[in-house]
Amino acid sequence: MRQRLLGFALVFPALATIVLLFAFPLTYSIAGAFRAEGVWTLANLAKAYDLYRSDIVFTFLIVGVSALLIASFSIAIGGYLTLGSSPTAISALRWLYRWPLFIPFIVAGQLMRTFLAKNGLMNNVLTEVGLLTPIQTVSFLDWRGIVITFVWKQTPFVALLVAGAMASLDRSMIEAARNLGASGPRILFEIVLPQVRQTLLVGIILSFVIMLSVLSVPMMINAQSPTMITANMAFRINAYGDYGVANALGLISCVMTGAISWIYLRYGIREGGRP
Amino acid sequence: MTRRLQLMSGLIAATLVSAGAPAIAETLTVMTAGDQNMVDYVNEYLAPKFEADNPGVTVQAVGTGPGDAGSQMIYERLSASAGAGAQADVDVAVVHQKMAGQMVNEDLLASYRGDIDTGSLVSRETADNALGTNVHGYVMPMFHSQTAIAYNPALVESPPKTYDELVTWVKDHSGQFGYNGIKGGMSGVSFVMGWMYAFTDDAKQLMNGPFDASISSDWADALAKLKDFNQNVVFTPGNAGTLDMLNRGEIAMGPVWVDMFYTWQSDGRLSPDLKLALIGPGMPGQPMYYVVPASAPNKDMAEKFIAMATTPDVQAEGIVKRFNWYPGIDAQYVQSKLDPETWNKLFTDVTPDDLATKGKPFPIASYFDEILEAYEKNVTN
Repeated sequence: MRQRLLGFALVFPALATIVLLFAFPLTYSIAGAFRAEGVWTLANLAKAYDLYRSDIVFTFLIVGVSALLIASFSIAIGGYLTLGSSPTAISALRWLYRWPLFIPFIVAGQLMRTFLAKNGLMNNVLTEVGLLTPIQTVSFLDWRGIVITFVWKQTPFVALLVAGAMASLDRSMIEAARNLGASGPRILFEIVLPQVRQTLLVGIILSFVIMLSVLSVPMMINAQSPTMITANMAFRINAYGDYGVANALGLISCVMTGAISWIYLRYGIREGGRP
Repeated sequence: MTRRLQLMSGLIAATLVSAGAPAIAETLTVMTAGDQNMVDYVNEYLAPKFEADNPGVTVQAVGTGPGDAGSQMIYERLSASAGAGAQADVDVAVVHQKMAGQMVNEDLLASYRGDIDTGSLVSRETADNALGTNVHGYVMPMFHSQTAIAYNPALVESPPKTYDELVTWVKDHSGQFGYNGIKGGMSGVSFVMGWMYAFTDDAKQLMNGPFDASISSDWADALAKLKDFNQNVVFTPGNAGTLDMLNRGEIAMGPVWVDMFYTWQSDGRLSPDLKLALIGPGMPGQPMYYVVPASAPNKDMAEKFIAMATTPDVQAEGIVKRFNWYPGIDAQYVQSKLDPETWNKLFTDVTPDDLATKGKPFPIASYFDEILEAYEKNVTN
């Protein structure tokens, strides 16, 4: 009995923090999604669907595309670090790829705002080098800018996880495959990748959830409509003081992440592995 | 010395000291919404001036934060002390239009404009009407901010003078006009409000009320026209985004805040070649108001402070020169106090006449929200 009480006492501070600062606000927000003008109602969700359904689809697509691109780049980076042949290239890549990890999203958004503009740094360099004329330059300050920023910022995170998992693999399998004449890509996709699949999925899911929560990037880069759910939530609160619809949009985001996590857990458990 | 002698001498000393001490200093509390620069303005400019003219008075400035949220905080303070039947702890407050209207409706403010001699120096409608509420006598405008269309003279030979001309120009020059929609910043919102004034018949009702939800059915044409217009524009990521894109030459025209425009130019962040045009029938701007709470502890001192802050000298030096805002009082009184360079800067592109005829207030609060929702429903959907 005393052991139990002691255990509970040790856990209590952390538990209290999570309940007070996460579970309670979350429940309050979800409840708020169903309240308008003092009554329980579905009006907030109806309005969210009415005004923002294209934004909801847009958000899902943007974050989905970004997640897929992040996965590809992470596999490529991790693959080269594990299987690459040139030591200088490997150490250079290892040193370089982690830099965007330390840059906050809002700073990344600000960077991309001046980099991707019609007369921004990227287009100016391309024009100077002669690849484009000033007339041909195109502004990337729309959905492509959001995807570029997300991929640039999140790839190091997932690559770190994946490269670490790849590095801890048993090299004998890779050596065996090499001895039998398998090419690099073949080893990567048929030997290495299946073994690090779980880690890759964890990284992608985490990135998905993080990207869904970012406000600064769509606000600073994408002025067009449709835009991401977070920008609409902020607008709803700042322009109308309408917490009901903002909460409804938040609920929709939570449902999205919930669905993705559920798919992952089902897959993970079916495979017999631990999440 | 004996005990008695010590006591006597102590008493005499104390009496002498207290007789020679100055009277208890009066403190004037000024509470201002808005950015830190507003607090600095009071502390660094207005306070020393006022304290020099009124020895024994200390001016204490408190900031409550930017935007309507800062004004909301001041309103809540006054409302709380009125509810408790206590005296307010604020002598002078600087608030936005929305909250000023609410405060007048709830009898939280003193009517003082008739008592000060600078009260007659302002004739603009904004001194009497705050987003639909009659505030005559309760407020003195501190400054007027204004939106206008900034343009690049190299790319725009003759800038449009009205919204109609703008529509024609944008059709012929697709992708050269940029604004931030309604979600990016207030300059875009101003542009849309001006659009509604131009292309609906409801301009007067939008500005003055009364609120009648049914007139939103009249807006279908104007909104459809705006949706069409948007096909040929570039969307910018905010007030700063519009200015940046203008500076980089990516767009030739866009709505901006006049004070932001001039401040950026003096900071070197914006090309000095760019100019402004205030297009008809008008574009919105908003004042911030000096107000005196009904139960302010030092009402006479407060009125003196506001009178000083709205003299042509102080308006010229403090408001126009320092902040690039348009003055709260009528511009013609300020002209003689400004050097020609500063006057030309602010009043060449947008003349005082322009300001008087085309400087409009924002719609009343309920219509403001209705228009934003209508835009979301009909234009961006």
